Amino acid sequence: MKWKWLYRIVSFVFGFLFIAPIVWMLVVSIKKEGMKIVTLVDWFTPPYSFAVYDDILSGTKLTNWMFNSFFVAICVTLFTVTFAAMAGFVMSKLPFRYKSAMFFLVLSGLLIPGEAIIIPLYQVAKDMSLLNSYQGLIIPVLASPVAVIVLKSFFDGVPNDLLESVQIDGGGTWRIFTQIMLPLNRPALASMAILTFIGSWNNFLWPFLSVTNDNLFTLPMGIPTLMSQYSEDYVKPMVVNTISSIPIILLFVIFERQIIKGVSLSGIKG
Amino acid sequence: MRMNKLRADVLALLFLLPFLAVYGLFTIWPMIKGVEMTFYKWTLIKKMKYVGWDNYSKMFHDQDVWAAIWHSTIFVILTTPTMIVLAILLAMIANRKSRLQKLYRSVFFLPSVLSVAVASYLGLFIFQPYNGFVNTLLHLIQLLPDNKEIFWLTETNLSWIALTLITLWWTVGFNFILYLSAMQDIPDEIVEAARLDGATDSKIFWNITLPYLTPITKTIAMLQIISSFKVFLQIYIITGGGPLDKTRPIIQLIYQTGFRKNDLGYAATMSYMLFVILLVLSAIQYFVNNRKGANA
Repeated sequence: MKWKWLYRIVSFVFGFLFIAPIVWMLVVSIKKEGMKIVTLVDWFTPPYSFAVYDDILSGTKLTNWMFNSFFVAICVTLFTVTFAAMAGFVMSKLPFRYKSAMFFLVLSGLLIPGEAIIIPLYQVAKDMSLLNSYQGLIIPVLASPVAVIVLKSFFDGVPNDLLESVQIDGGGTWRIFTQIMLPLNRPALASMAILTFIGSWNNFLWPFLSVTNDNLFTLPMGIPTLMSQYSEDYVKPMVVNTISSIPIILLFVIFERQIIKGVSLSGIKG
Repeated sequence: MRMNKLRADVLALLFLLPFLAVYGLFTIWPMIKGVEMTFYKWTLIKKMKYVGWDNYSKMFHDQDVWAAIWHSTIFVILTTPTMIVLAILLAMIANRKSRLQKLYRSVFFLPSVLSVAVASYLGLFIFQPYNGFVNTLLHLIQLLPDNKEIFWLTETNLSWIALTLITLWWTVGFNFILYLSAMQDIPDEIVEAARLDGATDSKIFWNITLPYLTPITKTIAMLQIISSFKVFLQIYIITGGGPLDKTRPIIQLIYQTGFRKNDLGYAATMSYMLFVILLVLSAIQYFVNNRKGANA
């Protein structure tokens, strides 16, 4: 009995600590600007105001940046997973020459952290005139060796007999790929897509270096730019935080089951 | 699949092409290009002049570089064990059958979907003196006297604590989910059998749950070490690397050297040092994981 209560209290305390900052962010964001704050309770009491929301939505490029973040993340996710699935498929199922060399090349990519090649990557992108463009934000990050390796290991689980029977029925390689391999591995593909999306959503270093035009900023870059203009007050920054978080929180609420499944699936093969 | 050799080669090439093109141009080629850059005085505008091994010898005598590597290491040391303990604890909370089970799972994962910039700025304001959430909360529950303030972000040790807490809050969700699904994979019969034999909850935890979590813990620990070593934005936003560069991590130094001091050649040299460090860590990870395979 005693343990049960201890468990409940500990659970509650942690639950509170995890949700409180987000609740505080929401509450501060609707507080009227310039109020005197002495205790924690003062943050939660009226007067409330949505005036700052109007200011931020109409007076800044925040929604523009949010669009960029979504646009870039969606493109990156789509292409990364498609490319990785294609590569993983042939590495799993086609008997081609230099296959083991190819596998080794991809595997060694796991050891190359993006951060360590960011300086020469900047130079390469500059030489190719990719700086300050959507292409430049998207294309350089589309090759994910991790996704290739993980998807290959899932594709390995599809029995060869199945593929050969389709081949005998006259199905080409492309049909086998799109109509058998992809549908059969939907959970693995979804898992990779979710992780890629979150990765792109949070990618900071590359947009930070490659883009200087503020029309092309993504949220992780735009938010600091905006925040640096605000002084002491808490309301504007929390409005910026809240507006930036609402879409992704809604997505989380809608797709929670898939997201959690995707994350736990990534642990099995990773 | 069966097909003749030539056909397989052509098909494989076509399927591999999109991945290989991007991988080659934007991963392999920069790797090679980077080596060249380390031997030059190289600015944001252009390649200036060949300097031989100068960048390297400068790096090995550069106090700032060693300090930055040490700061990244401190961050690894602070976040890795705490991350694992917290993730296991949260997984235990969310694994117990109760009406709030699902709610706890959502609440613990929720911060992980926030943008790194949002999490960092939230952290910055949460840890402000006078009006920040943490200090006002401590005042409210009387853990901190009304006339005292904690200056979290202007004192080095406290800055590390604040940075660690924010990072744990923001990223523990992923590891928590991994532990939760590992716990749910533990066969019920084993736990039931142990309980019938009179095992207490704590015995079950130490003798059944934890051993089951060992493989995933090894993986999580290594991945955490590597990702903590690459920390940048949280620190850049929350403390700016301060006070007095005392929390500046290696990636921030690389960025500042390349883009603020206009010295890409030297920045590339530091990047290679980072690369070697991460390579060693990855090699250790490979070794640890393979030993696990050998024992199992």
